[in-house]
Amino acid sequence: MPAVQETIDQVRQIDVDQYKYGFETVIESDTAPKGLTEDTIRMISAKKEEPEWMLEWRLDAFKRWQTLEEPTWARVDYPKIDFQDIHYYSAPKGITGPKSIDDVDPELLRVYEKLGIPLREQEILAGVQQSKIAVDAVFDSVSVVTTFKEELSKAGVIFMSISEAMREHPELVKKYLGTVVPVTDNYYATLNAAVFTDGSFVYVPKGVRCPMELSTYFRINEKNTGQFERTLIIAEEGAYVSYLEGCTAPQRDENQLHAAVVELIALDDAEIKYSTVQNWYPGDKDGKGGIYNFVTKRGDCRGKNSKISWTQVETGSAITWKYPSCILRGDNSRGEFYSIAVSNGYQQIDSGTKMIHLGKNTSSRIISKGISAGHSSNTYRGQVSAHRKASNARNFTQCDSLLIGDQCGAHTVPYIEAKNSTAQFEHEATTSKISEDQLFYCLARGIPEEEAIALIVNGFVKEVIQELPMEFAVEAQKLIGISLEGSVG
Amino acid sequence: MNIQTKPPHTAAEKAILDSFAEVMGQLPGDAPVTAARDKLVSAISNDGLPTRRLESWHYTDLRNLLRDVPGQASGAAQQVDPLVRGSLVLPLVQGQSADISVPDGLELSSYMELLASGEAASRLVARGADDLIGRLNGAFVMDGYSFSVAADQAIEEIIEIQSTQSGGQVHNRFAAGFGAKATATVVDRHLGDKGQSGLSSAVTTLDLADGADVTWIILQGCGEADQRLAQLNARLGADAKLKLFVINAGGKLVRQELHVEAAGEGAHLDLRCVNLLAGDSHTDVTLTLGHNVPNTTSSEIVRNVVLNRARGVFQGQIRVAQVAQKTDAQMACNTLLLSDDGEFSAKPELEIFADDVICAHGATVIDIDHNHLFYLMARGISEKTARGLLVNGFVDELIDELENEDLVEALETLIEQWLADHG
Repeated sequence: MPAVQETIDQVRQIDVDQYKYGFETVIESDTAPKGLTEDTIRMISAKKEEPEWMLEWRLDAFKRWQTLEEPTWARVDYPKIDFQDIHYYSAPKGITGPKSIDDVDPELLRVYEKLGIPLREQEILAGVQQSKIAVDAVFDSVSVVTTFKEELSKAGVIFMSISEAMREHPELVKKYLGTVVPVTDNYYATLNAAVFTDGSFVYVPKGVRCPMELSTYFRINEKNTGQFERTLIIAEEGAYVSYLEGCTAPQRDENQLHAAVVELIALDDAEIKYSTVQNWYPGDKDGKGGIYNFVTKRGDCRGKNSKISWTQVETGSAITWKYPSCILRGDNSRGEFYSIAVSNGYQQIDSGTKMIHLGKNTSSRIISKGISAGHSSNTYRGQVSAHRKASNARNFTQCDSLLIGDQCGAHTVPYIEAKNSTAQFEHEATTSKISEDQLFYCLARGIPEEEAIALIVNGFVKEVIQELPMEFAVEAQKLIGISLEGSVG
Repeated sequence: MNIQTKPPHTAAEKAILDSFAEVMGQLPGDAPVTAARDKLVSAISNDGLPTRRLESWHYTDLRNLLRDVPGQASGAAQQVDPLVRGSLVLPLVQGQSADISVPDGLELSSYMELLASGEAASRLVARGADDLIGRLNGAFVMDGYSFSVAADQAIEEIIEIQSTQSGGQVHNRFAAGFGAKATATVVDRHLGDKGQSGLSSAVTTLDLADGADVTWIILQGCGEADQRLAQLNARLGADAKLKLFVINAGGKLVRQELHVEAAGEGAHLDLRCVNLLAGDSHTDVTLTLGHNVPNTTSSEIVRNVVLNRARGVFQGQIRVAQVAQKTDAQMACNTLLLSDDGEFSAKPELEIFADDVICAHGATVIDIDHNHLFYLMARGISEKTARGLLVNGFVDELIDELENEDLVEALETLIEQWLADHG
């Protein structure tokens, strides 16, 4: 069954030439010269006033990166990146780290206003009380401001930029950094380890339920820069935190590189919910420009009964290479992955997840919806594996995709690896699993079949969207109407 | 920067190259065939055996798994009774064909003759840089059969290609052509010897003209120390129908590739595959299926039973071309993992470029359903028998789809026997 008109219109609304965040801000900035050498790394480290061990960590990563090869297994195609033609550091003049909102250049504040990101605490307070949300705003290579820090610290929650955390809580950073995504995990993660400039750090102590949503908003502004951020979130025993991430970039003809690493650590009974609305500049309708998004995101359910949940709405970037994963190490731990990926224009998405079952009685759930239109290519690539000792591992995977037009492609590449006889894995990529009962129920009430299917599938997509915190659900709202009838694997 | 140095040849790679140097003088074929062989061998020498870095060999790291390559010396293989009495047997004893008289409507020649006929060189090319089986077989092929069924002919008897091997190396090639609206049933059987460890490769090419209806059954019964690398390439014309059955029940290291192209409108493929895996074996079934024109359909069901320390792999790639609207492709891979030391990896892949298609794949890995077990045991059936019944039912279901009852019976007996021996 081909896509219905409503779906086509919905996807059109977020087509690449409709990109709303493509404006550029002229702001004086401190930019490192192009190129990547040990000196660049020393300079970044010095700018950040990092401890010596951090610099060594970076230099070690750089040495190893030079021995690695760029991966080519993903179904994405792009000209070779010249890693010497990029600025690895750029910061608005005068800003080396987050400070009070009053010290921030008003021009910069206007950028966030335009993007609809609340940076003034009182503004939000004046708004809806319950949707209080703490923001860490990262502009090119630096964190500009972090809101609600004090209120959070009353609860014992540490929320600050990672550069600050390295100075103020070196013991925590040292203990956890690189323990989920090892330095040499992959080409881009290693590059990130060498040159990462900022990102967020969250630490939720034992038994604390973080009193508000935390969020980081990434903005690439400067030309020819790469953004390399690193996020580290630790939830101690019994803690809970919900974290959101958003990203945009100006409209430019050149491609820009974004290579981030996100590490999540959940100890016993802890829960981390990580949501992303990825809206980097996707390039124009002819495929010119756009962000290359090579991201390594991984959560470690280190403690028993811990839970990590990834939710992503992917609409931006020229190239996306991203597999938010869960290592289910603790007994009874649970991993979840909910994704809606929409590709338009000449976008190429190769995204999915990994669920690595190591502990006993671990469970995971993967729901992925891919929609491709225009000349785009949209690939789901997911791995589910049960280790020999992972008795009673459970996984359920469902991935559906929908094509709009005949110039695009949709691909599904699941890797299912069972090494334990008590493992139960189910993978399906089909529409026939729309419950016959539900369909019959609608039909019996006089709803035509196509509408009935749309209704049921919409209900289902909503379920994924509902996994997003309220603030982001609004941004993702425009996707809700997209029906997925006629899905193909 | 990042210059990758070529790793030195492994013992197995060396053995393959030495082996070629030893037999090259005796291999059949004219000058272009010899040149084609040399080219394939130098490709093996250059690229080595595939590793898991090659996506198509992701779960079968041949460089690691193929440890010893036997020499040419072998035991005494013997022809056996056909699977179904009255079949037309095309024997290959230790890889050597025989002179067989065939009924009307069937044309037969040995592959050795074909290699000398002056037109074989163009067939000795690999599918791509990752086609180790094509390279190895093309370099070493010594014999096999080539046959064709005339248009509108229905071959009544089952044709059984029966290859028996007792250690050593056997490299065969088969080419089968089926004319328009021809029908035939072929059993493609390879048997090894328990006491010997042998290496065999086979490349089979099927060409189904418009409206042909062919049932092709691959029955792999290698000895437990045998290594087998086999590849089937099939092209389906308009309204052609290929019912492909694959039963793997033996071997230490087995890779069976199936490459099917639905090239004419209305073409249909049914694949039913049963993998019975035990001992220390590693068995890989890899399918690529191209839906290249509109209105083609396919249905694939793979059932695996994993015992002991066996490892199984199924990779299934369905490609739907941009023009192939109204494709209907359904693929399922179900595994009964009955041992904690066993492993199964599945990669059911979809690659779709057309927007009005129905494609679905499902994959499950489970243990025996305890409710079913309870149901049977509550009726006084012992646990062992109940398990046996359930496992049997799990795979027999696929065999039952064969139309020929004698074949169904023969294959079910074979499966029962295997389960009794290993259960």
